[in-house]
Amino acid sequence: MLKYLSEHKVLALFISTLLLSSASLLQAQHLTGKVVDKANPSQPLVGANVIWLQTDKGTATDASGKFTLSLSDAAKPVVLVTYVGYTPDTISVAGRSDITVALEAAKGMTEVVIEGEKERHSALTPTQTQFITTSDLEKSACCNLAESFETNAAVEVSTTDAVSGAKQIQMLGLDGSYTLLTTDNIPALRGLATPYRLNYLSGTFIESIDIIKGMGSVLNGYESISGQVNVTLRDPEKAQRLYMNLYGNSLGRYDANLNLAGSLNKKWSTILMLHTDQLQHRSDRNHDGFMDLATGSQYNVYNKWKYVSGDWVAEFGLTALQEQKVGGQLDFDENTPKEEQPHYGIKSDVDRLAGHTKTSYTFAGKPYQSIGLITSATHHKFTSQYGLRDYDGEQNSANARLIFQSIIGDTRHTYKTGLSYTFEDYSENLNDSLFNRREIVPGVFGEYIYSNTHNLTVVAGARLDFHNLYGTQFTPRLNVKYDISPRSILRFATGTGFRVSNIIAENTATLVSSRRFVVEEDLEAEKAWNIGGSFTHYFEVAGRPGTFVTDFYHTSFINQVVADMYTMPGSVLFYNLGGRSYANSFQAELQYEVLRGLTAKAAYKYYDVKTSYKDKLWQKPMIPEHRFFVNIGFATPFEKWRADLTTQFFGLMPLATMQEDHNQPLEHKANSDRFATVNTQVTRAFKRWEVYLGAENLLNYRQPNPIYGANEPFNAGFDASMVWGPVTGRVLYAGLRFKLD
Amino acid sequence: MKKLQTLLLSFILTFIAIGAQAQAKKETTQTVEIKTSAVCGMCKKTLEKAMAYEKGVKSSSLNVESKVLTVVFDSRKTDAANIRSAVNKTGYDADKQPADARAYNRLDECCKKEAGSH
Repeated sequence: MLKYLSEHKVLALFISTLLLSSASLLQAQHLTGKVVDKANPSQPLVGANVIWLQTDKGTATDASGKFTLSLSDAAKPVVLVTYVGYTPDTISVAGRSDITVALEAAKGMTEVVIEGEKERHSALTPTQTQFITTSDLEKSACCNLAESFETNAAVEVSTTDAVSGAKQIQMLGLDGSYTLLTTDNIPALRGLATPYRLNYLSGTFIESIDIIKGMGSVLNGYESISGQVNVTLRDPEKAQRLYMNLYGNSLGRYDANLNLAGSLNKKWSTILMLHTDQLQHRSDRNHDGFMDLATGSQYNVYNKWKYVSGDWVAEFGLTALQEQKVGGQLDFDENTPKEEQPHYGIKSDVDRLAGHTKTSYTFAGKPYQSIGLITSATHHKFTSQYGLRDYDGEQNSANARLIFQSIIGDTRHTYKTGLSYTFEDYSENLNDSLFNRREIVPGVFGEYIYSNTHNLTVVAGARLDFHNLYGTQFTPRLNVKYDISPRSILRFATGTGFRVSNIIAENTATLVSSRRFVVEEDLEAEKAWNIGGSFTHYFEVAGRPGTFVTDFYHTSFINQVVADMYTMPGSVLFYNLGGRSYANSFQAELQYEVLRGLTAKAAYKYYDVKTSYKDKLWQKPMIPEHRFFVNIGFATPFEKWRADLTTQFFGLMPLATMQEDHNQPLEHKANSDRFATVNTQVTRAFKRWEVYLGAENLLNYRQPNPIYGANEPFNAGFDASMVWGPVTGRVLYAGLRFKLD
Repeated sequence: MKKLQTLLLSFILTFIAIGAQAQAKKETTQTVEIKTSAVCGMCKKTLEKAMAYEKGVKSSSLNVESKVLTVVFDSRKTDAANIRSAVNKTGYDADKQPADARAYNRLDECCKKEAGSH
């Protein structure tokens, strides 16, 4: 009986299926329709995406807002309609062959909270962009921007000298000063703040980081040459109500962070972020008489307010920082006057105050059209002493930008245009030689973006800046993104960048040596071309996702301020580039989820960075030609346990030591050793608590003799700037985080 | 006949044992079904992860199509009301209880109700 019934059921199902499919055969093979604006139904939406739900089969609306879809592609009779600036909608189309979809304009700005779900290599941006998410940031030893790049292959972080412990980033084989650093897309920590800037942003302030390789948008100014690092700070509306982090390591460094966020009412929200780090213990593990790391303390406060009301969004931020550092010989007493000082030491005091505002208005009924005003101001002042040298400085800057964004016809053609104004006042004093400079730079810029909504995006931009000291500067840039398929993406980027160098601030490492600073001529502004491209491929093997990325970039300087340590031992010479200066960078990276929860990342990098030093084209010191990077991450379901291991291998780096005979050919010059570092961390998460434990430089590798002439620091042979490897050995650390959503 | 008796007795005993066990289990392990405002696969991940960190929750599963979240929990450690409020704090409606506004704000655009089921 039972069997009979089920047989009947099957038969009935079979017949009904047959009937249904023949019925649909009789109907139209296509679904046609139109997408319009809900508030104004006579306004068609051009370039809106219409796809069958749960498939990747779809199309975009044409110039009159119309579309046609093939019924055979449907997984079920529902379409998903999306359009930039509008709220997406799903429409059931069962039994219909012609539909009209009215989309409603989205309210306010659409921002996305990224928490580990986003692709690390974006498939959407026209530039080659990598994301470091909050969960990536929590993978490495806290607590500032320098450590944030540890599990990422695109940016390198290196120690500048063996005494101050300052860290610098490098991109495409070029110094960090050629990378534009922005916070919330506002240029930040520029000029005199450059040497220690990575310490000035606590990791707990950061929501996510975008790393753009090669040329990017002209909107943020003319300065970027090798790329841009944009740090998105925590958003008052979306951040956790309370976030606390405590950290301590085996060198005796302690960090404490506290974030408090809240909404006052529907319109106003605010976040207050506090950071302090303290290192008072003097350690000298390599017994050269020098502290391995400068001691000191830092206090950093950041307060941001956000206002959202209808079509208006505004933001105000204020940050204040105070830092003191003392480094050098173990017995150095920072309170003894310089003249009576028997020991070598460095000390610095930094005070910094910065604020910004952002206001944007989106035109009613036109979500694609907006106008925004961004202003920022900074005061940065420091006094420092490097052995017998005094180096003091002050920088006051103000910056304003007005940006208008709209479309030409339909949203396939968008543009941004605007005005900018920069004021910079620098005064530096190095051993009573004054370096003062006042820059006033008004500028205009425009950017046109074409997107065929399917597989091609072109961004063409240019800016014209009227520099009071270096004349009119034209900065053109171009980005093209072409999707060969949704899984294979080609990108191309080219353009110029322009910047004024600050020779002392960018070479503070050299201050920690007996080298004399020799400026041979009037220095020009730096200018360079950058051209490059990348190929990104997303794949799936055995049901688990992977990404392959390879890129090549070439930077060629039209003018560069050369810091020459090769030509005259005992001096660093500064002059305008006479011959050539270029950097070639190649990188290949593979990411794959080897097992469920186990992700592996491997990268190889090749750098060829050469500069004409007087008449000899030589490789830049301290840049390794070859470099490998491997990162393995493991997480249990729901990420209750997370473990991470990163290893980096560095090839030979040429050095520019003072002991050498400068007439020797490059092959005979001193080199670094090959070495590898390993960092690891384990985190256990609870509902509100997280506990982490980790080790930096697990293999305990240390550069032998990081300081030349450490015994006689006031003599000619002293040089602590030739640092190519870790100075401190293995560092163990532990910490905890507490979050309240 | 004796054989049959033994067999019957053992059957009865087994049933009692199972019944008792089920009774015991029922006392501590409970299941609750909550209608949520989840709209996509990402919501499923978010919700199930949030549930995994809730005290007393043994397992959870969201049916994206029906938006029903099924949670198995230990009634000695938590209750359905707690779980509903945990769902609210993750940014989703739970039955008739609306989502916590700030948590909802934190959700990815694609996870918001307005995005529609997809």
